[in-house]
Amino acid sequence: MGNILFNVGYGHFLVLAAVLFLIGVGAVLVRRNALIILMGVELMLNAANMTLLTFSRMWGDLSGHTFALIVIAVAAAEASVGLAIVVAVFRGRRNVDVDKLTTLRH
Amino acid sequence: MMRLLILITSAFLAWGAVDAMAPQAAYADPIPAQQGGNPRARVNIVKKSPHLDRVESRDKGMALLFWLFAAMTVGGALFVVTRRNLIAAVMGMVGSFLGISAIYMMLYAHFLSVVQMLVYAGAIMVLFVFVVMILNRPEDEPVAPSGRAGQVIGGLAILYLVGRLVMLLWKVQPPDPIKALAAPVATPEGHEWGTVKAVGTDLFNGGLFPFEAISILLLVAVVGAIAIARPLHAGQDNEGDIPEGEGH
Amino acid sequence: MNFSFNPADLGYLIPYLIMAVAGMLLVLAEAFYRGQDRSSLVGLTVAGSLAAAVASVVLYRQIGDARVPLLGVMLIAARTSYVLSALFSVVTALAALMSPAHQKEHDWQIGEYYGVMLLSASGMIMLAHAANLVTIFLGIETMSIGVYVMCAMRRRSRRGNEAAMKYFLIGAFATGFLMYGMALLYGAAGTSSLVEMQKALATTNNPGLVIAGAFLLVVAFGFKVAAVPFHMWAPDAYEGAPTPVTAFMAAAVKAAAVAAMIRMFGLALGGDVLPFGSLGWASPMVVIAAVTITIGNISAVRQDNIKRMLAYSSISHAGVLLVGVCALGLGAASANGAIVYYLIAYSMTTMGAFAIVAYVGSKGRERLLVDDWAGLGAQHPGAALAMTVLLLSFGGVPPTGGFFAKFYVFKSAMEVYDGQLIWLVLVGVVNSAISIYYYLRIVTAMYFREANQPFAPTRSGGLLFVIAICPIIVLEMGIMPGFWVKLVGG
Repeated sequence: MGNILFNVGYGHFLVLAAVLFLIGVGAVLVRRNALIILMGVELMLNAANMTLLTFSRMWGDLSGHTFALIVIAVAAAEASVGLAIVVAVFRGRRNVDVDKLTTLRH
Repeated sequence: MMRLLILITSAFLAWGAVDAMAPQAAYADPIPAQQGGNPRARVNIVKKSPHLDRVESRDKGMALLFWLFAAMTVGGALFVVTRRNLIAAVMGMVGSFLGISAIYMMLYAHFLSVVQMLVYAGAIMVLFVFVVMILNRPEDEPVAPSGRAGQVIGGLAILYLVGRLVMLLWKVQPPDPIKALAAPVATPEGHEWGTVKAVGTDLFNGGLFPFEAISILLLVAVVGAIAIARPLHAGQDNEGDIPEGEGH
Repeated sequence: MNFSFNPADLGYLIPYLIMAVAGMLLVLAEAFYRGQDRSSLVGLTVAGSLAAAVASVVLYRQIGDARVPLLGVMLIAARTSYVLSALFSVVTALAALMSPAHQKEHDWQIGEYYGVMLLSASGMIMLAHAANLVTIFLGIETMSIGVYVMCAMRRRSRRGNEAAMKYFLIGAFATGFLMYGMALLYGAAGTSSLVEMQKALATTNNPGLVIAGAFLLVVAFGFKVAAVPFHMWAPDAYEGAPTPVTAFMAAAVKAAAVAAMIRMFGLALGGDVLPFGSLGWASPMVVIAAVTITIGNISAVRQDNIKRMLAYSSISHAGVLLVGVCALGLGAASANGAIVYYLIAYSMTTMGAFAIVAYVGSKGRERLLVDDWAGLGAQHPGAALAMTVLLLSFGGVPPTGGFFAKFYVFKSAMEVYDGQLIWLVLVGVVNSAISIYYYLRIVTAMYFREANQPFAPTRSGGLLFVIAICPIIVLEMGIMPGFWVKLVGG
């Protein structure tokens, strides 16, 4: 027990990232508000980044840092487009609840 | 509930602080060799060069800080999932990102840690707050109850997968414990690892193409976001829409 | 990693550079436009894409059988990548030709559309060359973000917005899986280069990471190519998006995602170990392929809306492509060429079919129901004939490219050691027979029923050109497949 508590190693960081990833997945699956779903996706990407950086440190290989930097930029771009789509949808129907997106259903 | 949380957290912090200040013989790497590491090699390295990069730590203090920031990260993320108020969720997200950036610091990713703070907590979350304000509807609808049985089965399946994943990640074997441990901390130069200089050098070596190509992605995002979100001209409000129901 | 920048490498990337620069010029040109009409931007769009296609052809002829690593092995130039980049460029040109008439008729003239389309296509060309996890990720994202934007550009249509929202949310979710899977693979291999990865993964200390990472990638790519059970977004997104964008999504985006799969699963996760066994990535993929072909077809039978029907049909085609990817992973040598041939035939068929959908619709009335198409054969025999040829190609009926595409993919699946995929081939063949039923429903509606209302089709030169050229190419691929087989290296 003390070993787990005080001897922090790669496993700790990886498990933390996995927990973060799953909370992100949970947010996407459970919540109905498009903004929160978008935040869940951001959490998933952050978990992936944390995993990348842990492995980067584990292998002593810096290319993981470059990858993580690019993921951050992509996440920013994705968030901006996503928020623009949210605003566009809101303009048409005054809410952003994904359960109420039922125009296209057969 | 909140008070209890604050109390526990501050007790935890105080313990960490006292612990960190207490004189101890061994310096510890935030990532010591967990399994199969050569303890002697670690001690030698540590004695040769104490940490020069301001993540200086001692054994228990670092561990406690890790748990603190991990709690902050997970707690903030849980806030996002559970809060019905959008602003509260965004704030939870900011807290989570700050925790993540501290964790990056422990992983010797100094540059990424700062970028995380600037880009995520600083820029993206401000964008989220803007949109929440544009929507002007801070109260979210309650979580929709959808299919009890499905939820239980899905939950169990997810828990099983989580368990497998955690077991897997917990047992990750470093490629070569001694080498991996030695790489970042062996020499004062080793502390360049993960700094702006080191990441920048890598970025303009192997990472040159993606670094340049990402500008196209950002251009698409900027142009696209403006094209989608700019206001419609007057008198055009949804008039040209296809009547609902057609096409079914 | 150290490498010295070699300007000659850029020569191999000319198609990519042409596409990106043309896209930037279009974005810039848009800033100087006044008024509503944007159709003059189409010229530059088509010119840019055709220039990229020509450059791909020239480089294809020059490069021979060499595989040239570029820019620190971030990218690789080889014959297959130039065939694919030519395909993406041509599809982009066709989509651009379809657009102005549809924009004018349905009143969504937006100039940024063309720039975003070319920049998105540059992401696809990057995927055709990708040889590193970073470039695969970046290519997929450049392409996807561009297409999310194009999907949302019919801004006054609530259906368009809704389609964009669904597509975006599912796409972003898939990106999360993709990235986490890539991170786990990076952890197992210690390198992000696909070429080195195969060797590193075979001797890794952490085989569990490889399994988890590969499964996550199967899920992520399942979302991207709309494989069952990750397909629920596709019919909605295809129906709600403007028809030229739907065509671009169904043809080019799917082809580019499959190109990334060829790299990812054929190169990095290929070899003699990783795909095999009950924990190899081929075992879930085989199941997904079988389910995708079957469910896609069964759902298509029930559809009355032509766009939704084509969406489900494209889902079942994604299943066939996954059969090809499985065969590639399980060591069938001819699978790579078969997949590329399939992609060419499928893309051309899809572009043509959606062009006809755009042609039949008119202002305020999109005419998407099968019933709305009754009597098309009598009033517009040319369009009806073209549609018939394309539908036969979708169904895999002999004198068309679709037949040979399916034939080659299934043949490569038969080559797999020990006949492991024979049952999958049987599933595919049975489903092809089922699919002919619903394709013929449209044909009978067009020829054997009376029109309830006169047609007022969208007339434009570009649209008619696409409608004319696609069936010709599809027939040509069916009648003289030899040239194309040689092209894809079969």
